Amino acid sequence: MIKIKINVNGKDHELEVEDSMRLLDILRDELRLTGTKEGCAVGECGACTVIMNGNAVNSCLILATQANNATIKTVENLEQDNVLSKLQNAFVDEGAIQCGFCTPGMLMSAKALLDKTPHPTEEQIKEALEGNLCRCTGYVPILNAVKKAAE
Amino acid sequence: MDNIIGKKVKRIDAYEKVTGKAIYGDDIKLVDMLYAAVRYTDIPVGKITNIDCSEAKKVHGVVKIALFKDIPGQQKLGPIRSDQYAIVEDEVFFSGDVIAIVAAETKENALKAADLIHVEYKPIKGIFDPREAIKPEARLIHPEYKSNVILHYPLRKGNIEKGFSESDHVIERNYSTGFHEHAYIEPETVTAVPDHTSKGFKIYGSIQNPFTTRKVVALFMGLNMNQINILGSTLGGSFGGKDDIINYMACRCALLSKLTGKPVKLTYTRENSLKESYKRHPYYMKYKVGFNNDGKLKAMKINIIADSGAYSSQTFFVTWRSVVQATGPYEIENVETDIRGVYTNNTYTAAFRGFGSPQIIFAQESLMDEIAEICGISPREVRKLNGFKQGSITASGQILNKHTVSLDEVIDKALIKADYKKKLEEYKKLNEQNGRYKYGIGFSCSYRGCALGAEGTDATSAIVSVQADGSIYVFTGLNENGQGMRTTFSQITAEVLGTDLKKIVFLEPQTATITDGGPTVASRGTIMGGNAVIIAAEKIKMRIFNIIKEDLQVNDIEETIWKDGTISRKDQVTNIKSIKFEDAAEKAYWAGENLSAYGWYNAPDVSWDEKNGQGNAYFTYVYGSHVADIRIDTSTGKIKVKNITAAHDVGKVLNKLGAEGQIYGGVTQGFGYTVIEDYNIQDGVVKSDNLDNYLIPTIKDIGNIDPILIENEDVDGPFGAKSLGEPTLELTSAAINNALKFATGKQSYEIPLTLEKVFLGINLKKPSRQSQVATHDSCKTHVRVVDKQTLRITDIKTITPKNLKDALEQLSKQELQILSGGTDVVIELRMKTGEHTLLDISHLEKLKNIKVTENEISIGGGCTFTQIISNSDIKKHFPMLTKACSTIGSLQIRNKGTIGGNIVNAAPCADSFPPLIAYNAEFVLTSKNGTRKISADKFIIKNYKTQINSDEILIDVIIPVPKKNYEYSYFQLGRRNAVNITRISIGILISFENNLVEECVIVSGSLFHKPMRIKEIEQILIDKELTLQSINSIEEPLKEIIDNAIGKRWSSAYKLPVFINMTKDALTEIIVQRG
Repeated sequence: MIKIKINVNGKDHELEVEDSMRLLDILRDELRLTGTKEGCAVGECGACTVIMNGNAVNSCLILATQANNATIKTVENLEQDNVLSKLQNAFVDEGAIQCGFCTPGMLMSAKALLDKTPHPTEEQIKEALEGNLCRCTGYVPILNAVKKAAE
Repeated sequence: MDNIIGKKVKRIDAYEKVTGKAIYGDDIKLVDMLYAAVRYTDIPVGKITNIDCSEAKKVHGVVKIALFKDIPGQQKLGPIRSDQYAIVEDEVFFSGDVIAIVAAETKENALKAADLIHVEYKPIKGIFDPREAIKPEARLIHPEYKSNVILHYPLRKGNIEKGFSESDHVIERNYSTGFHEHAYIEPETVTAVPDHTSKGFKIYGSIQNPFTTRKVVALFMGLNMNQINILGSTLGGSFGGKDDIINYMACRCALLSKLTGKPVKLTYTRENSLKESYKRHPYYMKYKVGFNNDGKLKAMKINIIADSGAYSSQTFFVTWRSVVQATGPYEIENVETDIRGVYTNNTYTAAFRGFGSPQIIFAQESLMDEIAEICGISPREVRKLNGFKQGSITASGQILNKHTVSLDEVIDKALIKADYKKKLEEYKKLNEQNGRYKYGIGFSCSYRGCALGAEGTDATSAIVSVQADGSIYVFTGLNENGQGMRTTFSQITAEVLGTDLKKIVFLEPQTATITDGGPTVASRGTIMGGNAVIIAAEKIKMRIFNIIKEDLQVNDIEETIWKDGTISRKDQVTNIKSIKFEDAAEKAYWAGENLSAYGWYNAPDVSWDEKNGQGNAYFTYVYGSHVADIRIDTSTGKIKVKNITAAHDVGKVLNKLGAEGQIYGGVTQGFGYTVIEDYNIQDGVVKSDNLDNYLIPTIKDIGNIDPILIENEDVDGPFGAKSLGEPTLELTSAAINNALKFATGKQSYEIPLTLEKVFLGINLKKPSRQSQVATHDSCKTHVRVVDKQTLRITDIKTITPKNLKDALEQLSKQELQILSGGTDVVIELRMKTGEHTLLDISHLEKLKNIKVTENEISIGGGCTFTQIISNSDIKKHFPMLTKACSTIGSLQIRNKGTIGGNIVNAAPCADSFPPLIAYNAEFVLTSKNGTRKISADKFIIKNYKTQINSDEILIDVIIPVPKKNYEYSYFQLGRRNAVNITRISIGILISFENNLVEECVIVSGSLFHKPMRIKEIEQILIDKELTLQSINSIEEPLKEIIDNAIGKRWSSAYKLPVFINMTKDALTEIIVQRG
């Protein structure tokens, strides 16, 4: 077991967890933030994407020890005071959601991009989302949604 | 009419999906819940001689291990033929068979116990090719059925021999298509909960067809259907995939739940999913066709063998659609079609979006282009001549006169939108220039029967319930799979009752509350369920009307308008006020009116004669056409899809947003099926076991998609709507294949069109994944390598050093696995067994600096690729390093992965190596006893084996700043455009003096056993002018070098010529850069 300090969505936590736990397990099982999804466990699908210290990362590839002292943002943090963010609204408006399983990861990759680059080019959007697989939407509506959120 | 129908309507379940609040199966956690694990077979085919659970039972927290003998009800299951086990008895038939199931207090302990169940086998020689299985002498896979042929559907029309004898041309072609994995992003999950009221079970999970699951679980458990209530959960994609496999998982969970009295959850990893879940059927198709000089089809004889894998499953239904549609949308006088579904010991195959149509359309639409070529007419002309028109007769003798036959319309609209004619000319000219790239444009068309057709009972249910305040519940016997059905059905209700969508709540379906509405398959959701919703809503509308008709002073409902939440007279009369819907509802409530209504819709009649394959197979059809605009890199065989235009006659668009979404998604899956998705199973062993070796398209792989929605309202459709989900996928393969033929002049008869297939004409087999090779060959760890039943991280301990000194101290004392970014190490840990101690150096700030001096740049071993890519000094001095690092993995990987990790892991495909070698980088290795430097080109000994000692850390990468000006070129080739394992890379640096090559460095990546310079080739170019001629002069010597080094490898047939091409292209790029 190891002790870690972690700030998730603005809240500090001190946790004692198994060494084998990944950041994904800490979020889902310890903190019950189940918006972050597991799709492959090998960093291919991006369903588990969260923002760690400002960067989009695969939470399935981060061990507890690596997450110590980190600041994490998850999909649950996007809606503030019961108001959806511009990015979330753009996903809804553009039909960028079908089954919704990849959506939390997509949103967090897009959010990390827009935080750093508020007006990205199409190429930059594609680069930011290249590590997020979607099997339903064919990506076109997702690309349009991020463009719309960046307007 | 058209209050809300046809508009762009936002999904009603969007809110919970963008906030992370939607509850998917694995998000469910219940009090006292146990976790289940499955024990797969170790070999694909064999008799089980012994199962020993004694060690597994000792694992802490294991509550129950169940075997075949524990099954309380029906042991063998299946939709038509009961030939499959949820838990096998004494024989295994394919590599995804389950021998035992475990329930434990934690997931980890359940999995650990599954690992410790020891099974002994007497192996049986498997049959992995249906063309072998069909031979009379072949071993019977399921002897009780007396044949490996599961079914044979014939279709006979006219006189085939007469047709051939009257034809000017008779040609015969063989086509084949591969397995295709659904790859829904959510892996399968089921939770069973004891239900004390029914003395049965409630079942949650990723369930596509709740009523099927209910039936199968009831049979397996020996219970009545009313004792099993399927509640499902938000479904993370299905595409036909979460049917049979989910039913078996639900059986296992229910059994463990019964044996333990507790809720039990079984969630699969991606590896479990790829191993056990069924795929799309591979088809082997022989088409013999007779036609006249003008292109008129006279006779078509088709023989198809479908690989059903180990079980019959849905093969009965899938292949039936194929026999109906195999000739395509063409009127042919004489047809003879035979399709056989055959057992093998491969992964079993069943439903997948398209359902027996993508395979035959690939064949028959590729064939049409060939016929056009032989006759010297255009692909459009041959289709115009033979294609279905109003009143045409299909191969099964059905007269197409009850709906609008819009084949010509869909084709013409697609071709115009795609600018087909102009591109055809343009590309012809471009291709004549014989450049590296060839351009192609091609199209395909299809017709498709809607709903189940004559394959089975086709009826469905809906309930609409209006409350006293005018709010409304809708629920149906069909399922939301992500396609947007809830939104469409809510829209239909809102349209009929003239209310706001916000007034409607679509209830989560449960099998206990509504009659079996059949499966949500065959693109039947909208056309069948939509009608059921209309029937229910119309009933309520009439009941409310009867209450308020006096107020409105009308006699007939046709005299009223229901719109925007009010009910009013069509002819406005000033003294009669409109009535608000909620007021009408309230009045009806107090009048004692039943405001809940059942809608039941039976599909119009269809018919089928099994013996001759004749009849009215489906009650209506849809038509579609895809145009593919592509570019081929002839150096590598890589296909770039620039644009797909997709025209579909949907009858009537109900939700534009949803309809276009179906096209984008279906086309992208169709592209994946055609070009990159290559399910690798060899001798029954699944090699494509995760999404790093079963590749699906990324956002960078698919080009533009132009959806065209065409409306010809159908007499039987809800508001005239028909189907869309499946047609979107079925057409893409043939369109791309026809474009490829146009571009290269070479006809392909097989998909997927992988790099090797396009370049060589054959599809090479791939070996195991790179990361497994790393684990098995690793010099860094000395552990017993045992395949885990389910991959996961086990038994690790992590040490966080205070500082670098402390880290080195720790390393000097014991053997530790260094953890830096973790993007390789964490993946490898999932495969390892035994105890591992990791030294986490990710927090050491000292390793994260980039220091720039006049003479050198020093990059800390802990620097991430993102740090390196964004450093302007590195970009200025070492642009090749920037470019190479930017091709690594995905952005998420580059944000965590470190250069030190990439170097020390030393995969042959490590992308940072070619530039580091080219730029003469040195690695600084430090241990407690001192520091040493080693040059990049000497660091790797061979695959994954390096010069680093176990007590050393790579702390810096030092690269000298070049003193002169170098031109550079770097190419990386992968199967996709992102998140690749590099197939081949090439880095070149050249300096010039008086227009002659002065210095030349050529480094290969992912070619030899390690990244390395090819000095012999460099020498050839030095002191010469760099010209196309000098570039060509390296070809022969390079060929000899590669041939000597890797000539015997599986991949060399492809890698050798392609590396030569890439080297020449990279050198040519330098000429271009210099102008």
